[in-house]
Order: sequence, then C-alpha cells, then structure tokens
Amino acid sequence: MGAFELICPAGTLASLKAAVDAGADSVYCGFRDETNARNFPGLNFSRAEMRQGVEYAHARGKKVFLAANTYAAAGRFAPWKAAVDDAAAIGLDAVILADIGVLDYAAGRHDGLGLHLSVQASASNPDAIRFYQEAFGIRRVVLPRVLTTADIARLNQEVSIETEVFVFGGMCPMAEGRCALSSYVTGLSPNSQGVCSPAEHVRYEERGTQMVSRLGGYTINVFEKDEPAGYPTLCKGRFVARGKTSYLFEEPTSLNAIGMLPELKAAGVVALKIEGRQRGRAYIQQVVSAHRAAIDAFGAGRAIASDRLGAVTEGGRETTGAYTKAWR
Amino acid sequence: MMDDDPRAEPERDDRILETMAARLALLLAWPLPPALLQPPLDLVMAILKRRHPGAFERLTELPEAEIVVDPVDMPMAFRLRLGGGEMRLSVCRRDDIGEPAALVRGNFAVLLDLMEGRTDGDALFFSRELTVIGDTSPVVALRNAVDGEDIDMLADIAAMLGPFGRLVRPARGAASRARSSLVGLHDLLLGPALRRVEGVERRLTRLEGH
Ligand code: SF4
Repeated sequence: MGAFELICPAGTLASLKAAVDAGADSVYCGFRDETNARNFPGLNFSRAEMRQGVEYAHARGKKVFLAANTYAAAGRFAPWKAAVDDAAAIGLDAVILADIGVLDYAAGRHDGLGLHLSVQASASNPDAIRFYQEAFGIRRVVLPRVLTTADIARLNQEVSIETEVFVFGGMCPMAEGRCALSSYVTGLSPNSQGVCSPAEHVRYEERGTQMVSRLGGYTINVFEKDEPAGYPTLCKGRFVARGKTSYLFEEPTSLNAIGMLPELKAAGVVALKIEGRQRGRAYIQQVVSAHRAAIDAFGAGRAIASDRLGAVTEGGRETTGAYTKAWR
Repeated sequence: MMDDDPRAEPERDDRILETMAARLALLLAWPLPPALLQPPLDLVMAILKRRHPGAFERLTELPEAEIVVDPVDMPMAFRLRLGGGEMRLSVCRRDDIGEPAALVRGNFAVLLDLMEGRTDGDALFFSRELTVIGDTSPVVALRNAVDGEDIDMLADIAAMLGPFGRLVRPARGAASRARSSLVGLHDLLLGPALRRVEGVERRLTRLEGH
C-alpha cells in the first residue's frame, strides 16, 4: 500500500480480477440481490463467485469488502443477515453497512469482521460518526460527498477512526442514502431496493435526430445529436422552470479529484474510493491503473498525471465536487 | 492498457486485424441465403455456451426479450433472443428489424470491443458512440453478463477447432506485419461494396426526409 489505500469497485468477478491486477489495494463488491446499492440486472456476485474473488485477491495480498449498504426492509431481514453471515464465512475483510439494524447484527454476531460505515449512512459530522463508533465499533467511515477538504480536515481532528473518501466516478448530488427522487417516479428506492432509476423503468426513444430518455413514463431529458449524455437519473434530468429548460440539480458529470491527493492527504484521509461497480471492466482497468500511478507518483514526490480519464466520465465532464465548492 | 503506452501498439494491430477479419467474413457471407448463414451463428452460440456457461446461464434465465444489434457500418443487423431458457442469434436485414424490445447501435468495431469487454459501455453511451433504443433492462443484463466473462472470440473459436485452432495464435502474432497489407486488401475488396451500401442509405435517408 502506498500513500493512500486504493479502494476499487467490481460488479463481476472479471472486474475484481482486473481491479487487483491494475493495482487496487482493496476491492468492494456486493451480492446479487437488494442488499447492495448497485442491484442492477446481470451484475454482482453469487456466493461461489465471491469465494473465488476473495481467493484471487488474498493470494495477491489484497483485500475484499462486501457492500451490503441498503436499508433493510422491516419484517424481512433475512437477505441482510445472510449477506453479513456469508461475508464472514467466505472470509471477506470487512463489510460496508449503513442500516443500524444490520450494523447491530454484524457487531453482535461476527467479532472479527471489520465494519465500515457506508456513504449511504450520510454521517457527515463528528457526533454522528462517534455514535456509530461507540454503538457498533466501526473502524472506518466513508464520508458523504458534501464536505470540502477543510471540512474533512476539521472532522479528522475530532474523530479517531479512519476516513475514506470518493476520488473518482459518478456523483449523487442529494444527501446520500436519503434521496427519494427515483422512488417517487418508479416506486423503487436506491436506498432500500438498491437501484436508482432501475433499468426496467428506463426507455430511450429517437425523436428525429434527438434522443429522449424516459424514466417511469416521464421524459427526463432530451439530447441533441452528438451531445454528451449522462445516466437517466432525475437529479441529472433537464426540467422547465420559469420558461427555461436546464439542469436544475446537477449536470451530467463525474467526480475527478485525482489532482487533489496532496490536499486529501493533508486533511488526514486514509483511503480513496473509486465509484463504478456498474461499469465495465475496461473502465475498472483504466481508472484503477491511473489512480495507482497517481498514488505512487504522489508517494514518491513526483508530479501526478491527472488528464487521462476524460473519456470515461459522465457527460464528458469532470468536477472536483464539494471538495472545492466555492459557494460554500 | 493506456492509449499512450507503447506496449499497446502490437495489441492494437492484432485488434484491428481481428476486427477487419470478422467484418470481412460477415460481409462476404452476407449475400448467402439466411439458411446458410444460420449454422455458423448457431456455432457461435454453441461456443459461448461451452466456453462461458456462467454468462450463458445468466442470459437464458432472463425474462424473454429480443435485442437487435445494429452495426451501422455493415449492411446487416443481428437479432438476439434472450431468456426463457435459451438464446438464439440470427442475422436480419436493416429494413426488417421489426419492433424488438431494444436496439443497440454503433460501429462494428465498437460493438465487437464491447462484447469482449475491451471498452466501457457507459462511456460509449455518454459519448454517443453507442445508441440504445427501447427497454434498457435486457441490454444492461446482456452487457453485464458478457463483460463479466473473459470473452475472446478468436481464442474461443481456436479452442473449439482443436488442432486447427493452433493456427490461430501464430496468425495473431503476425498481425502487425499483416496489418498494412490487409488494410489495402480490405479497402480494395470492400471499398466498392461499402460505397454502394452507403449510397443506398443516403438515398433512403433522402426519401425519408420527404
Ligand atoms: S436521483 Fe441522483 S442523487 Fe438521487 S439517488 Fe439517484 S443518482 Fe443519487
């Protein structure tokens, strides 16, 4: 491990291997059900695949974390219990959780299993983080993407556990784990069913040279010919307000904080996370190797190459997100 | 491998050769009656089933759906029936696509790279090199299933061919040498045919415009 621990996504066994081979220190992935926040058709791991993935990573000295970070359904706790129990049985290095019921279950049943607090818990202040630490013994918190680097530095002075932040990938502009936009339109929630804008509710249509994206029967965006597109989520939809059509919440864009490693290090961040379990293994290979090279260059005091990832960004655009939000 | 990595050069040559060879084979086979084209397509499905049972199983377990894959630089399209316990690939004319659940459209090379997990589908979609029309659910499932496997069609075919397959590897190794002459051959053989197809498409677009 270098200056930071590099945490990489994997939606399939092939992606997990690609991430390990490209220089991940740890890989995070989920089981093929509603227990994780990327419950997409054909994605994620069976128990047998997870076992193979853990063997592959451990044989190379790398770690695997299970994301079981959706909120459990009241009265139907079995899938979340099974996810935690199987993670422990398979030998995953940690579980990433958000639901206090699931955290309580994992803390009570599996002593040696590392607990990380998911970004979905949206714990963004010392009081909240201390609560999870005291109640469940979490050893790491993944910080929500709403904090500036100065906020992170202040927070790290007040908490005694490790902090992990997102460095690259898709953005959720709303409070994480709380967004109800997709639920409102499709009846399915990213926070409980594990999928924002589920594929079965998304349709694309051609209107002359334009491409229309529809979610749950509503038109949420119209792209002109060759105009860069984004994910079909409501937060990145274009709406008419006061007679003007525009992106009201967020434009299609990807976080890219690869150039901010010095600031993140100074703020006390331990681990950097790449978003994108739903992406193909070509993305994993490219993004992970660029970050490995950047972290190694930073560790060795060399310049960081930060201009290699434009082709894989949403809408062809990059942002440093809240880390440098001037209006705050 | 990053684009600016010099080691990428031979691999790129191999890839261009493979893509052109596949394109050439399909274009030469295209005038054949559909009954003659079906056996090789069935063979491709048999290869997938045998070499990638996991992906095959995941796709046959889906709800039944028909996806048309439309390489814009080819005269034909491919119809893939998924789900309901089986999977079938057939070839169809672009004017006979009908109303599939979903249509995936892009350049032949882009689609082939996507099938083999060499490129990221979301990035292609963002940059509009890949178009998806209709229901995205079977398309996402298909993409995830093929991306989760190390599919390498040429290696897969080589493995199925047994001893003859050994010829494929050296052919690959010689790719960079063969590339420049093949580019010439490709253009010579296909240039007039492609120009004809493009001419017909231009005329059709003009007619649609009226
Ligand atoms: S609608 Fe946007 S902010 Fe809300 S969960 Fe989906 S991606 Fe995140």
